[in-house]
Amino acid sequence: MELLDLSFFTSAIRMITPILLAALGGALCARVGIFNVGLEGLILAGAFSAIVGNYFSGNVLVAVLVGALGSVLVSLLFGMAAIRFKANPIVAGIAINFLVLGLTTFGLRAIFNVKGAFYDKNMEGLPKLDIPVIEGIPVVGNLLSGHSPLVYIAFLAAIVLYIFFYRTVTGFRVLAVGKNEAAARSLGLKVTLLQYGAIVVCGILCGLAGAQLSLGQVTMFTEGMTAGRGFIALVAMMLGQSHPIGIVGSSLLFGLMDALSIRLQGFSMPTQFTAMLPYIITIIAMFFLKDRGADSQLSGQQSSR
Amino acid sequence: MKLQRKLQQLLKSLIQPLTAVLIGLLTGAVAISLVGASVLETYKVMWDGAFGNFYFVTATLARATPIILIGLGLAIAFRAGVFNMGAEGQMVLGAVSAALAALYVPGSGIIKILAALLAGFLAGGLWSLLAGWMETRFKVQLLISTLLLNYVAVLFAGYLVSRPFQDKSGSAALAQTHMIDQVAWLPKLFQGMSVHMGFVIAMVLAITLYIILRFTSAGYEVRMLGYNPFFAEYGGINKIKVLLFSMFFSGGIAGLAGTVEVLGSQYRYVEGSLTVPGYAWTGLMAALLANSNPLGTAVAAILLAALQTGAMGMERNTEVPLEIASVIQGVLILFVTAKITMNWWKVKKKAGDIHGAA
Amino acid sequence: MTYVLEMKDMSKKYGDFLANDTISIHLKKGEVLAIVGENGAGKTTLMRMLYGLEQPTSGEIVLNGKTVKFSGPHDAIENGIGMVHQHFMLFSDFSVTENIVIGHEPKQNGFFNRKAAAEKVKELSEHYKINVNPLKTAGDCSIGEQQRIEILKVLYQGADIIILDEPTAVLTPLEIEELLKTIQFLAEQGKSIILITHKLPEVMKVADQITVLRNGKVTGNVLTQNTDVEQLATMMVGRELQKLTDRIQLDGDPLLVVENLTIGGKNAKPILDQLSLTIHRGEIVGIAGVSGNGQSELIQAITGLRKIDSGSVHLGDTIFSGKTVAYRRNAGLAHIPEDRYLWGAAKEAAVEETGLMGYYRKRNFNQSSFIKLNSFRKLVRGWIDRFEIKTPSLDEKSGNLSGGNLQKLIVARELGFETDFLIAAEPTRGVDIGAMEYIHEAIIEKRNNGDGILLVSSELSEILTLSDRIAVMYEGKIVDILNRNEATEERLSVLMAGGNENEASTKTTTTA
Repeated sequence: MELLDLSFFTSAIRMITPILLAALGGALCARVGIFNVGLEGLILAGAFSAIVGNYFSGNVLVAVLVGALGSVLVSLLFGMAAIRFKANPIVAGIAINFLVLGLTTFGLRAIFNVKGAFYDKNMEGLPKLDIPVIEGIPVVGNLLSGHSPLVYIAFLAAIVLYIFFYRTVTGFRVLAVGKNEAAARSLGLKVTLLQYGAIVVCGILCGLAGAQLSLGQVTMFTEGMTAGRGFIALVAMMLGQSHPIGIVGSSLLFGLMDALSIRLQGFSMPTQFTAMLPYIITIIAMFFLKDRGADSQLSGQQSSR
Repeated sequence: MKLQRKLQQLLKSLIQPLTAVLIGLLTGAVAISLVGASVLETYKVMWDGAFGNFYFVTATLARATPIILIGLGLAIAFRAGVFNMGAEGQMVLGAVSAALAALYVPGSGIIKILAALLAGFLAGGLWSLLAGWMETRFKVQLLISTLLLNYVAVLFAGYLVSRPFQDKSGSAALAQTHMIDQVAWLPKLFQGMSVHMGFVIAMVLAITLYIILRFTSAGYEVRMLGYNPFFAEYGGINKIKVLLFSMFFSGGIAGLAGTVEVLGSQYRYVEGSLTVPGYAWTGLMAALLANSNPLGTAVAAILLAALQTGAMGMERNTEVPLEIASVIQGVLILFVTAKITMNWWKVKKKAGDIHGAA
Repeated sequence: MTYVLEMKDMSKKYGDFLANDTISIHLKKGEVLAIVGENGAGKTTLMRMLYGLEQPTSGEIVLNGKTVKFSGPHDAIENGIGMVHQHFMLFSDFSVTENIVIGHEPKQNGFFNRKAAAEKVKELSEHYKINVNPLKTAGDCSIGEQQRIEILKVLYQGADIIILDEPTAVLTPLEIEELLKTIQFLAEQGKSIILITHKLPEVMKVADQITVLRNGKVTGNVLTQNTDVEQLATMMVGRELQKLTDRIQLDGDPLLVVENLTIGGKNAKPILDQLSLTIHRGEIVGIAGVSGNGQSELIQAITGLRKIDSGSVHLGDTIFSGKTVAYRRNAGLAHIPEDRYLWGAAKEAAVEETGLMGYYRKRNFNQSSFIKLNSFRKLVRGWIDRFEIKTPSLDEKSGNLSGGNLQKLIVARELGFETDFLIAAEPTRGVDIGAMEYIHEAIIEKRNNGDGILLVSSELSEILTLSDRIAVMYEGKIVDILNRNEATEERLSVLMAGGNENEASTKTTTTA
């Protein structure tokens, strides 16, 4: 078996999709001054709601929308705690992770009456999208075509977010809120409204990330199926300094390392060591993060004060 | 007069967590009625499951033991102003090191126990120190690095017990170490009950930490660093040293949490036995709930453990699923730092702020 | 009714504290109204109510004959009121243009038309003769330039009434001249200006009408032509100022010796450039200079809060270079920091804990690592009595004390070390007159005891009152040292702006 072949890259692209989507959502929150540690919970909420939507409607599009809606509701709860009630965002984010873990497991029992995982063979997963022209090109076609629509949406979202931040008026104001909230308020900008807007969009993006998880490869939901992806998204967000293109880069790095770690398992290395690879590479990458963006100050760690 | 003010202050500091508990219980009530059960009866069953008889009380305390220790460790880091999210990795490394020390250090039971405690403390402490060092030396965000180091630590411990130190004697090849010699077990506090010596260690540590933080110069340095690092530095506190010490003890105590679990109830390191119950996260919540006061953390840890053992009892006896406990916990923490306070206090505080700014 | 703005019987209560007590002001089109008063007199509160940042407890705001209510700055801006805050509200990463147009950005299909914005800013800048570079990043602009951005922003928003809150506090003398000209020009163009300040000479130069506040009340409303600085000062302070204790002539030995101190900057220009300075026993050396010329860095280098690139610092026989903050403090250094909230205290900590800093290491208060809180509390109670620090208890959060009381606590703490050498940086910033007299008295007393003091202050009057010698800092160097009897505000101003002595004499003669 070759170490790096085409399927390696296609699997990397699939793997980064939920991380990229969630990291973009997190970046949006960071840009309005809210450090969102609750991404893990938001993705999980999306994954679960998507399965619920799928089971009851039998329609994939409805499922994705319900996934987004579920995540938005949780996101609003987080926003309310952090903005309206001025709770410490880090604490509120941790709480959201826990709450959603409990709620989804509870939901599995209450709605589907199962424990651990829910699977129904009648449920339909996300379709694979073949892109007409690109599909025909050798190599590139295999690499870029035939993914679920959410994969394309993820990359599209990064571009849209980039244009939003750096070309539109509202995006400009969002950046302003994150850079200096007091100044933004004194100018009469609708800071709270922008913050809630960011929270809602973050919910949508995380909902899509969750839908990709539960409907993308295999159509099922398992307890705690996010398995730390929300935290990885948080790292990708910080590594990418909350810049959409930077986040694409850091997500790609993580996705490649993840795909590589799976591939390396074929090379008689203990699986534990190969599985460590993405985390260790990410830590090393953080050493090179010299010019740390405004978002890193939000975490309130000693070094950033 | 002075006593009255102290009491008032205590009451004031309790309003916040109590409001959060109330909201948590209300949410739980909604969830319980959603599955069609009686709220009061279910809570009664939960209470009995946690404190119903002596056996359940000891089971609750046994479950609380690692949670208290994790919470205490994190409380130190929080007091020093850093968000250590790495308790899980620190605990797991502590547990596996303790298990190996108890297995392979020669000598009598007491020597094995001491070696295991030391190994567990050092392993957790050094792992945590690594994150502290990366923060002070290279400005690698501690919040993120500790999170990432968790994965590395858990995977590494998994490797140790699935390869070099795996117990292959059993019928199924589980990822676990051999069983520790009985002489190195921490004694149970009561015959036939699950609560063990680790609980005493945890409580003694809680009191000790309270005294250190409140009354000693080291505790003063830690607290001032957490309040305002610039002020600390200005006053001659060695910021880096205090931060590294705090992280070392923070991780070391998390390592002890793993150690006493191994020595007191599992008697070996089994992969997943510490991560699946979510001790680390519950400990984190205990520290948050108590605003990092060591004594408060111990109390909060026992309450959270009671919520979990109570939920188990509830699941045995009713149709209501166990996960209600996680929902209640989540809501509780969501609102614990929220500023839902009575109006008069808000007005007074605002005025104070303005005075401060003028 | 020819007034564009009237504020009638405005009152604002914070708890039991009456910050504004039935204050009334009025303003005509094209008029410059100065509101003067000491710190804490209520000027800022009044303006915050006008700008919608605070809601009045009672009173009425009448704008062009109509009663208005502002629920936030947005309403004030909509009604043509603009404010230039004392602490600039700028986005340092954004360009000058972006900072000016934010909130009213030129749009094209929802997209931000930065080109049109830059052109508008250019036009505006030319029309009002306020010079800025629209494409520069705001963070790279000088303080004076940043203030011009703020003024243009307010004009861009269409303000007819412009509030300037302590605009000259951070400027060089030359920049002040320019600002005063701008203010006059804006008034000629029909803008009405409210100038908040406590610097009377400027007021006399530019204002048409002056309202004086003291302790939240109006103590006088006069036309500039009918008054003078002395009358205004009396109205501001309400009594004769105490005379400071006489200073005894002392010829002490050198105490703190700084030699060739250099700290490199981010760019080629060093922050401190081969700086040398000696402070003797029984001497107060004042550092005069526009803020940002290396004063903060000099203090941090002496106290050990900042690494130096070359040079040396001695205190008596003790070498300071390369030593920790604690070592230097133990060797005889105390330090009143320039920013009491950043360096001097922990807002969340109790009053006694803020006081304990440094003492917890001392043998009197530390018994084998346990802090002897009871003996320490006695000491703190002594400070509270001596400096009349108002606090409900020793457990009160430090952040809940008023600025003046917290400053007194910090001053008491640092004087309490009874060290040979003291750095007093902005020792009276933002405190009331009573507290200021107290702190000045204590500093003089320390000097008379034969201790050495380095005083850094942005208030020239404070430097002139207290110092035996005055060192002027400009761009990381000490450009001149004047003796107490040869220093005047004019001479210092010129030196502070980077001019040399010869220029100083020519300039003073031409302006005189």
